[in-house]
Amino acid sequence: MRVVNIILGLTLILFGGFYSYLTLHLPDRNLPNTLGSAFMPWVLVTCLYILSALLLLQTIYRGSAESCDYVISKKEGSSILFLVVLVIVYIKAMAYFGFLLVTPIFLIILMLSIGARKWKEVLLTSTLVTFGIYLFFQKVFQIILPAGKFF
Amino acid sequence: MSGPIFSALFDVLQYQNIFAVMFGVIFGLFIGSTPGLTISLGMVLLLPLTFKMPAVTAVCLLLGLYASGMTGGSISAILLNIPGTPSASATAIDGYAMTQKGKAGPALGTAVVSSFFGGIFGLVCLSLASPLIAKVALRFGAPELFALVLMGLTLICSFGQASIIKALISGVLGLIIMTAGLDPMMGTPRFTFGSVDLQAGISFLPAMIGLFAIPQIILGLSNKIRVIPAYGSRIERILPRFRDLVKLLKTMLIGAGIGTGIGAIPGAGGPIAVFLSYDYARKTSRNSREFGSGTLEGVAAPESANNAVAGGALIPMLTLGIPGDPITAILLGALIIQGLIPGPMLFIQSAQFVYSVFWAFLLANLMNLCLTLSTIRLWVGVLKVPQRILLPIILTLCVVGTFALRNTFFDTGVMLCFGLLAYAMKKYGFPVVPMLLAIILGPQLEEHLRMSLIIAQGDPMIFVKHPISLVFILIAVGSFVSPLIRRRKKVSVDDDECRIDTPR
Repeated sequence: MRVVNIILGLTLILFGGFYSYLTLHLPDRNLPNTLGSAFMPWVLVTCLYILSALLLLQTIYRGSAESCDYVISKKEGSSILFLVVLVIVYIKAMAYFGFLLVTPIFLIILMLSIGARKWKEVLLTSTLVTFGIYLFFQKVFQIILPAGKFF
Repeated sequence: MSGPIFSALFDVLQYQNIFAVMFGVIFGLFIGSTPGLTISLGMVLLLPLTFKMPAVTAVCLLLGLYASGMTGGSISAILLNIPGTPSASATAIDGYAMTQKGKAGPALGTAVVSSFFGGIFGLVCLSLASPLIAKVALRFGAPELFALVLMGLTLICSFGQASIIKALISGVLGLIIMTAGLDPMMGTPRFTFGSVDLQAGISFLPAMIGLFAIPQIILGLSNKIRVIPAYGSRIERILPRFRDLVKLLKTMLIGAGIGTGIGAIPGAGGPIAVFLSYDYARKTSRNSREFGSGTLEGVAAPESANNAVAGGALIPMLTLGIPGDPITAILLGALIIQGLIPGPMLFIQSAQFVYSVFWAFLLANLMNLCLTLSTIRLWVGVLKVPQRILLPIILTLCVVGTFALRNTFFDTGVMLCFGLLAYAMKKYGFPVVPMLLAIILGPQLEEHLRMSLIIAQGDPMIFVKHPISLVFILIAVGSFVSPLIRRRKKVSVDDDECRIDTPR
């Protein structure tokens, strides 16, 4: 964990540098004798620098008593990637094909990937859940769900 | 004096009013327990129905929703670790830990009973001490609100059991994220990268859903653990034992007192109340070490607080006509539509109606208690659904719920980003609750700080000159320093026993 904390501390300082650069270029528009829009970001980034430095110093001089399973396994990595891609594709597809058409497919893919094997269960659940959400949100709560560009 | 009180009770007990409360409670339970649907949204949806109703029936309907919406938020927080409302986020900490231990029934039972206690406490304060509380609450200006929010933020230290520095970093990162959007005072765009969506800032609901739900779904996908605890066919007792309730009385009083007090302050909001009560209950508890690992006190404190907030929030609304949050603003609108103008004159001109509001609030809390307790077994039944079905449904609800907030997929993207961030943070030992706290309180912190300094023409002594803000700042300093001192003492004791952190 020691090496990880050192890398984290350095990453946070780098992020602080990027945030400071953005803050430096914020448009200056404020009332006379008042704090501008950059005031809070400067306070926060200063805190971030101090805390990152403290994390580094504490780790270097005292070590780390934490015990975390910090390694992201191949399976976890692929699960994260799968989830991100699936949600992005779901959102994009919904914009074109609409909620009613895309959601059952999204649910079927997710259920199969989590371990569902009974096709009857998968098909029934995906259909019922889709219509349930549609009725609940669109008909009861009057929240317009995406209808898609082609329909 | 007793004439209008009993006439009001007779009014509220008309069958159509009882039915209105019941409908409001059921609607509120669904709204509160569904991620992405807010109590304000429920109120807005029900508002048109009230236009042609008598004023008392309208109030019964809306107060039923208000009381149960808070409880509904806790149901999903306890069972699935997804708080339905921001005020339920503190409940998730111990509530979900209890579910993981197979004690979802007692956790829900305690949450419902504590909510009832908080609601009744708030009602008693509303009916007996409204003018006094309203007078004190009105003394809260920008400096006092800044100090209160600052005090709320210092709770971050309490969530850094493994590393206080990491908890603070988590909080600061949350505050940094919330600076994106339009500057709250001048409307200057900050860190928007040209995105129109980012100009509106980052809404805390998608962030909250992402922080809690997405890491579980990732774990479920990678088949590491069963993330939604399985439940056996037999559900143990739901109602807390009488002796447990007696033990919880102090905790519930703390939560209800803090909830009512903070609820009465316009603009303070429920999330501060629940986290403050959770922290204060922990500090004053004999079992403070058990907090976070699934203790009834950790459920009772925030639950009594979030329902007491409702009673507290009604105080400035009814006595002064000042709505403290969006929910009471909608309630105020509903009363104005009915031709009633809340404020001091309401108590003189329509005393019977004011008593009707009190009775309606009592009925709403009673109905909430009865309906929720009688349906707990159904709610717990959610845990019997296999994970392969439940997790995809949760993810779909998260996506649709975040979309429903502003009808934009930007919020869904925000949810996903926060989910991935939360997963990485958990991996590397950063607690996520401080970030959530910062996300909820960050915008208020900056707004009140800058407003105070404008009022004082840049003089920071304004926070010391105002007695209320000085008290809050002193408590904030104490709250910030005490975990550090406790930790130092603990480390020195451990150092005497053995060296705990050997550099590698």
